[in-house]
Amino acid sequence: MHTHGTDDGEQLGVAGTGAVLRRTAAFARPYRRGAMGAMALLFVWTMMLLAGPLLVRIGIDEGIEKGDGSVLNRTIVLYIAVAIISYFSFRFAIILLARVGERFLRDMRNRVFAHLLRQSMSFYDREKAGVLVSRMTSDVDSLQELVQFGLIMFTSAALLLIGSAVILFFLSWKLMLVCMVAMPFLAIANVKFQRDSNRAYLRVRDRIADTLSGLQEGISGVRVVQAFAREDGASSRFSDANQDLYRTHMDSVKIQCWYLPIVEFAGAGTTALALGVGGWMVSDGQLSIGTVVAFILLLSTLFEPVQQLSQLFNMVQSATASLNKLYGLLDADVDIDDHPDAVELDPAQPIRIDGVTFAYGDGDPVLSSVDLDIAAGERVAFVGPTGAGKSTLAKLIARFYDPTDGAIRIGATDLRDASVRSLRDGIVVVSQEGYLFSGTVADNIRVARPEASDDDVRDALVRIGVVERFDSLPDGLQTEVQERGSRLSAGEKQLVSLARAALADPALLILDEATSSVDPGTEAMVELAMETLMQGRTVIAIAHRLSTSERCDRVAVVADGRLAELGTHDDLVAAGGHYAELYEAWISGLGEAS
Amino acid sequence: MLAGLMWTAGRVAVPFFIKLGLDRGIRDGGPLLPWSLAIAAAGLVSAVFLGVRRYLAFRNARIIEARLRDRIFAHIQRLHFSFHDANATGELMSRGNTDLQHFQNFIVLVPLTFANFLIVVTVTVIMLILQPTLALLALASLPFVNVLGRKFAQNLNPAVLKVQQESAQLAAVVEESVSGVRVVKGFGSENVQAEKLAFEADDVFDAAMWSSTIRARYLPGMELLPSIGLITVLGCGGHLVLDEQMSVGDLVSFNIYVIMMIQPLRMLGMIVAHGQRAAAAGVRISEVLGTAPKIVDVASPTLLPTDGELGRVELRDVDFDYHENTGAGVLRGLSLTIEPGESVALVGPTASGKSTIARLLPRFYDVDGGEILLDGIDVRDVRRQDLRRAVSIVFEETFLFSSSIRDNIAFADPDAEDELVVKAASLAGADDFIRELPDGYDTEIGERGYSLSGGQRQRIAIARAILADPRVLILDDATSAVDPTKEHEIRDALSEVMERRTTIVIAHRPATIALADRVVLLDEGHIVASGTHEDLLATNERYREVLAADRDADSAGDADSDGDDSEDGDAP
Repeated sequence: MHTHGTDDGEQLGVAGTGAVLRRTAAFARPYRRGAMGAMALLFVWTMMLLAGPLLVRIGIDEGIEKGDGSVLNRTIVLYIAVAIISYFSFRFAIILLARVGERFLRDMRNRVFAHLLRQSMSFYDREKAGVLVSRMTSDVDSLQELVQFGLIMFTSAALLLIGSAVILFFLSWKLMLVCMVAMPFLAIANVKFQRDSNRAYLRVRDRIADTLSGLQEGISGVRVVQAFAREDGASSRFSDANQDLYRTHMDSVKIQCWYLPIVEFAGAGTTALALGVGGWMVSDGQLSIGTVVAFILLLSTLFEPVQQLSQLFNMVQSATASLNKLYGLLDADVDIDDHPDAVELDPAQPIRIDGVTFAYGDGDPVLSSVDLDIAAGERVAFVGPTGAGKSTLAKLIARFYDPTDGAIRIGATDLRDASVRSLRDGIVVVSQEGYLFSGTVADNIRVARPEASDDDVRDALVRIGVVERFDSLPDGLQTEVQERGSRLSAGEKQLVSLARAALADPALLILDEATSSVDPGTEAMVELAMETLMQGRTVIAIAHRLSTSERCDRVAVVADGRLAELGTHDDLVAAGGHYAELYEAWISGLGEAS
Repeated sequence: MLAGLMWTAGRVAVPFFIKLGLDRGIRDGGPLLPWSLAIAAAGLVSAVFLGVRRYLAFRNARIIEARLRDRIFAHIQRLHFSFHDANATGELMSRGNTDLQHFQNFIVLVPLTFANFLIVVTVTVIMLILQPTLALLALASLPFVNVLGRKFAQNLNPAVLKVQQESAQLAAVVEESVSGVRVVKGFGSENVQAEKLAFEADDVFDAAMWSSTIRARYLPGMELLPSIGLITVLGCGGHLVLDEQMSVGDLVSFNIYVIMMIQPLRMLGMIVAHGQRAAAAGVRISEVLGTAPKIVDVASPTLLPTDGELGRVELRDVDFDYHENTGAGVLRGLSLTIEPGESVALVGPTASGKSTIARLLPRFYDVDGGEILLDGIDVRDVRRQDLRRAVSIVFEETFLFSSSIRDNIAFADPDAEDELVVKAASLAGADDFIRELPDGYDTEIGERGYSLSGGQRQRIAIARAILADPRVLILDDATSAVDPTKEHEIRDALSEVMERRTTIVIAHRPATIALADRVVLLDEGHIVASGTHEDLLATNERYREVLAADRDADSAGDADSDGDDSEDGDAP
């Protein structure tokens, strides 16, 4: 599936590059002054670099050749001034450019991330998480690299190249033309190098990724490898990937190894030409010896930038491609957003699901014409087989998605007319399988209400009766949960999740029950917390255990995208339908156990 | 080395020929062509050897890098479980990645440093010969380039590292927000995450500005110092020419020589910092390579018997603790005998030692006291290879490799016939769903492939163990993620597998436990009771308690526990 910004092509066409640059210029408007200042300083700096050989020429022609020591001395004073100006302009250019560039990047990060967070769930279904993360990391990092040193080198190399060509032209256009014979060869070599090295770079990058994922797999799967005594097999498989990487590395080295000598020789060859032809022109009286010297000195400032530019060009290109992808992300429309005259939702009202049909993207409908009324304060369990649509229905009630057809109203308000803020405040969706963010236990509970104090967090835990469990952790509520909660047990993670809901204290709670309990030790505690949490609010439970649905006022069985059965637990068991069958199986399971 | 020598010679010769051309050709009106040709020839030599030298340097470094990476990987594969328990994957990753990178960077620099050093020496000597006074004056400022280069690298490194660290923290916020987007949306906590990110973005900004400040402090200075040399050359040299103590050609060649010194001097300054980093990386790498695998074969291993009734397991008075010297062991004086072909279910509360027994038998760890015998032979006397082919374990946490399903099942024996693979899959109750996948057994799974549900993954792991055809099969909570309604299907298949071999089952669901001939109830590293499931149910209160604690986990109620966190979440 092709979507915004997931295109991994590295090359942009000329038109594409132009569009990215124009957009960047617009984006960078707030920093325009700083950027102009930095460019002006860079310009001054390169001009000072170019002034050196010219001063040497004046010193030789006007001072030494004419035997005039005072001219020589004045040239030296000028040279010193040039060096000082060069020092300060370079220094301030670096600072200014960094300030502008880093601000640009910081704002870009914040903007892209804010935009990501505003996207609806269907966006996250569509886009791979890894791709989204890499936009914010490797793409922004490649821009960072450019800002940190690429941009300054690229600009100054370009200015040096142009500047020295212009100066050479004015010193002696004839000699310059002679020296230009090397240019076509260099140009061809450059184009080829450009293309080959870019291709080689992409290949190396892919092989590095392969090798690293092989390494990762080998380490995280080491127990399985050892369990089957396949250490040698795993090592030789890795070695193959590693050899591939070595070969692609060497391919890329070879490309540099024929290109760099060409540039080096072009420099020496042109110098030879400048000396030979220039010398002949001196003897012919057309040129001064100082001009020939300036030529020889300037030629080196001409060839060094050529070499640098071709290396920097790749960096600039991939940065442009990254920018393009970031703009692609910013261009992705936010499909669930506030209506211009959105109203505040009162979630403590009855829910009416009215002829709701829903399909993910262009797929087949997951739900078709579902009607269901839920009273305020009622507890309804959604039960049904995998893929039948019970989670989807619950997510529609939270407006993670908008129905394809039909409407969901809470009180008199169609969800699409409610402000996103009031929806999120009034309706909380909690998955019992707790997902943890980095930070402390308290921080993790606070995601539900960032302004809550530590006491509020504690109150929430007390309300659901689990505060002792967390107080017994090494640092109590201030315990760092570390990477993905490696220090909390599965049951404790579930408790964190429930505590979040208690802290948010919503009028409508949508509870996605854990599919399996991994932690028998906390099971009873979790059950109790859940029961307490449900009190005094409208609850929709996506139930995976019949013990939960048994406790609900009504049970809605969703099968094949339709509401198959609806009624109290007892009614449904008595009715002998699908639910009764499930219940039968469950009861017999218990029977086996005791 | 030779290539470096030739490159240096060619490079250094160019300005010298320019000088001769200027003085003898242009000033004295002599022939000019020979000097032009000499410059071109010297340029050719330096160009060719530039290429050769670069190629050789990189080839060397890349070969070393590749070999070292192979060695690190192979060594990590051989290191014992307790090493891996103590070292995070990310940590070990960086040994084979960034640390190796630092090392490689340094190795590339070694021949380059040699050539640079040669240039500095040769150029200094030539300048001293041409005009000693001017040489001393012109070169006076240059050593400071080296000093600045070194200081620059030393100061910049921590700043660059800081930028990387802060970027990694920012990446972590992005990562957790994207993977936890359901929670973020569920609680409407978009602003919390946005603020977290803004905080990290500010940190990255500060770190980046720090590193830019360091660049701004050193780079212009490193530019300025050679300029001082050039000004000295023009000023003093100019007067020397006026006094006819030296030629214009000398002046020009001095100018070029000074420029030629800048790059090598900077590099020589940086090599120190690179060397320090490489040394630190080298220490970390050798720490891993220097860790001796704890679980190794004895000098003359005993072969496992191949005739008669196979698969007899005996634990004799086994003591074990994962951490040395904590006193309270996980297993204390535990003895247990399992007869060939018998199936035993280990039951007990969390941390009772069930999984530990499962990990001691294939010798992932060595016992602290007592012994474990397989078919009468101490597992420590058997070749690891033999032992682990004889004992297969299915872990609770399923790990599958990113390759085809077929390759995953045939992991123990990559050359296994397709029929065997299919048979193993059928026995594990996996054949049906595999056939429904887009490419059947050739479906690629893992990070970049098709994602399977938890239950499906577990069934493939079971098939993998069945294919190994071990005499002892250990199922460590291997069906926990399998949908209870579907577990029924594989339960029948499992009983077939268990019939013909010794099986140790760790399970919570009574129906699975009941498959075993005998149940062993464990608590705190001791055997509390042993008997059939029915007997224990009838007679043992503790057994009923343990099962009851697990009962609610047995979600017979609905067909939805296939390990998906969202039932309809399989959107494209």
